[in-house]
Amino acid sequence: MRQYKTRSNFLFNLFVNLVMLTSLLLCLIPFVYMIALSLSSPKAIINNEVFLWPKGFTLESYLQIFNYPNFFHAYGNTILYTFVGTGISLAMMILFAYPLSKTRLKGQKALMKLVIFSMFFTGGLIPNYLLVSSLGLINTRWAMLLPFAINQFNLILLINFFRTIPEDMEEAAIIDGLDYFGILLKIILPLSGAALATVGLYTAVFFWNDWFNGLIYLKSSQFPVMLFLRNIVTGTSMVGDAAGAGDKTTIAISIKSAVIITSTLPIIVLYPFLQRYFVKGIMIGAVKG
Amino acid sequence: MKKTLLISLLLIMTVALTLSAQGVQEKKSEGPIKFSLYYSDNATLPFKQDWLTVTEVQKRVNADVEFEVIPIADYQTKVSLALNTGTNAPDVILYQSTKGENAALALNGALVPISDYKEWTPHFNARVKEFGIEEDVAQLNLKDGKRYFLPALFDVPFYDGGLILREDLLKKYNLKAPKTYDELYDVLKVFKKNNPSSYPLTILAGPRVLYRMTMPAWGISLGKNGASGTNTLSWDYEAKRYFPGAISEEYKSYISFFHKLYAEGLLDPEMAEPIDGDKWSQKLATGKSLATYAYYDQIGGVTATSNIPGFKLEMYPALAGPAGAHHQPKSKTGSGIVFPYKTSKRADFEQLVKTVDEMFFSTENSTIWCLGVEGITYNMKGGKVEFVPEILNSSEGIYKSLQVKYGCGSDVTQMVWVNAREMTKYDANYARINKEVEAMGNVIQAIPPNAKFDDRQAEDAGSLQTPLSDAFERWNSAFLTGSKDIDRDWNAYVSEMKNLGIEKFAALYNDNL
Repeated sequence: MRQYKTRSNFLFNLFVNLVMLTSLLLCLIPFVYMIALSLSSPKAIINNEVFLWPKGFTLESYLQIFNYPNFFHAYGNTILYTFVGTGISLAMMILFAYPLSKTRLKGQKALMKLVIFSMFFTGGLIPNYLLVSSLGLINTRWAMLLPFAINQFNLILLINFFRTIPEDMEEAAIIDGLDYFGILLKIILPLSGAALATVGLYTAVFFWNDWFNGLIYLKSSQFPVMLFLRNIVTGTSMVGDAAGAGDKTTIAISIKSAVIITSTLPIIVLYPFLQRYFVKGIMIGAVKG
Repeated sequence: MKKTLLISLLLIMTVALTLSAQGVQEKKSEGPIKFSLYYSDNATLPFKQDWLTVTEVQKRVNADVEFEVIPIADYQTKVSLALNTGTNAPDVILYQSTKGENAALALNGALVPISDYKEWTPHFNARVKEFGIEEDVAQLNLKDGKRYFLPALFDVPFYDGGLILREDLLKKYNLKAPKTYDELYDVLKVFKKNNPSSYPLTILAGPRVLYRMTMPAWGISLGKNGASGTNTLSWDYEAKRYFPGAISEEYKSYISFFHKLYAEGLLDPEMAEPIDGDKWSQKLATGKSLATYAYYDQIGGVTATSNIPGFKLEMYPALAGPAGAHHQPKSKTGSGIVFPYKTSKRADFEQLVKTVDEMFFSTENSTIWCLGVEGITYNMKGGKVEFVPEILNSSEGIYKSLQVKYGCGSDVTQMVWVNAREMTKYDANYARINKEVEAMGNVIQAIPPNAKFDDRQAEDAGSLQTPLSDAFERWNSAFLTGSKDIDRDWNAYVSEMKNLGIEKFAALYNDNL
């Protein structure tokens, strides 16, 4: 596309670029600062000498967290929950969303209302816990994977996307002899890459970041790495008993930074690979027809 | 014939009884007793299954403990869920008391009233008697007169934190170490004059650290983490009653003093926000702050990192205020061990309680939780503890090195705290300050007794406490920063607190002591 080199176009581009640059810096600086802190010596940090470049370069913080008991174990748990959880979740959501995208289906509206109701109202912590407990899931990894398989928001995204696929294609497929599962597998899913990538990414990020469900449903050997991160970053600033035990313990900021970097990096790295789907996908369901 | 029959019957019975008794004993020695246990894990002291203390103590009491290691930040959530639902609760939970929610849970039968099983906790009873703290322990009883946990026990409370000043600057400006708050004010004035860009006095963590360490010198203890846990009441040690401390003249005088410091730029204005360890160290190490209320263990780290020549921090005994020299009140009992109700249904409950009692409270094992194992971490020479060179010369200090490498001195597992024994882990200076404080008399007062509420009263107290506490926090910050004038707005403040029922709240406590 040719652009006219007028003064107002130039100014507009300059403005847009400046805005983009500012927002880029706003996102990037804290992250770079964190990396710099994690690679600096504690002495330089305490004397306030570190900004965007590490000072007194050291890998000590990383070595120290790798020495924490269970760090890699927890990391492995998180990777497992993310992959398996996302897989289960996508499978369940696809199977639920496809029929719900058919308005002619009897009871579709009622089901939809149930889905939306549960989006706004939940049973609360203890009833949920009792439910998961009576299903015999407590202290098993399934407690992390099954109860969150269907997220209503993502489900609605998928339903709306499926509705944008023309009915005529499915009718043609039926005439050619495909059954509904065949249509879903051979026609709908191949056309839904963008939607699945978007929902998949949302789900993966959810499983990657989730610590609370891990805390309440799992044994400590099954804890995800986020719980570990949380303990290091916030656990030490807890209010202790009246004796003040909690205030006495602090942990070096270099270690906090190193933990944050190691536990967020993989999911950040994932974004550029999914981005091409993601940009398309984020508008999914926005316009129908 | 009859006689022979009788004798043979008796014989058979005796043999059978002996055999069955042996059977029981054999069952006991079959293998270690197994139980699960919740452990509150602090990231500064990450739990290790193979810590010397953990393995050694289990070996000595023949137990096989399944440690569920839960991050401290979420420990209470996990415990609350386990106790509230009753399902999946572990056999033993460490680091608990019966304050707050646990009191209601205990009264409703979620916890074992461990005071009913005195004969199964001989080691605990012996330590309580040895320390002479029967009364302190009795205060932990709830409304029904029963105690639901085995608390940690202290013989003499420590002076582990307080006023910390730049000693090098005191010398430089030719000042004496302050003994009263007025002298502290003068010292801070001089510091400020010579370092105009500094805020001389800062604090670690939040304002609560400052408040709870300094308020007792005015005869009050208020706010978040106030000694009584009421947030707005204080304890009158002479009358042995609660009074509405938040609207007392003592508080007015207290907040006036700190407002003066604030207004003159002597108090760190950032203290309203939590100042975490790193920021705090930064302020002191770079000379942005020159005095602080904090804990002794942290001085070393700051001194080691500061680039200022001659930098020296020192901790001082509690300063005297209008009510004398007092520091944060401390209890001779601390968080301890609870048994969820489910545990009492175990066939070997008696053995379990006895094992736990021995594991944490016996002289032998409590020494291990404190000092480690003789011959490995320390040796006794002429009745004195002498740590092995590896620990003695470690860069992180004896205390930290014992903690991190061996699991000694974790306040989750160490239940018996003997002041003199603890002091062997610190430098001579710390022991000296503690001696000085002990010699000053009643510097560290006891924590006021808990009111013994039933469910309904606890609910009433709770619904009074929250709005009172919120209002107090709001006014307190306003008075401190000067956005409300202490003299002019005092009456408005008092009437708001009265409208929120502070007097009723005090009466509720006093009626249920």
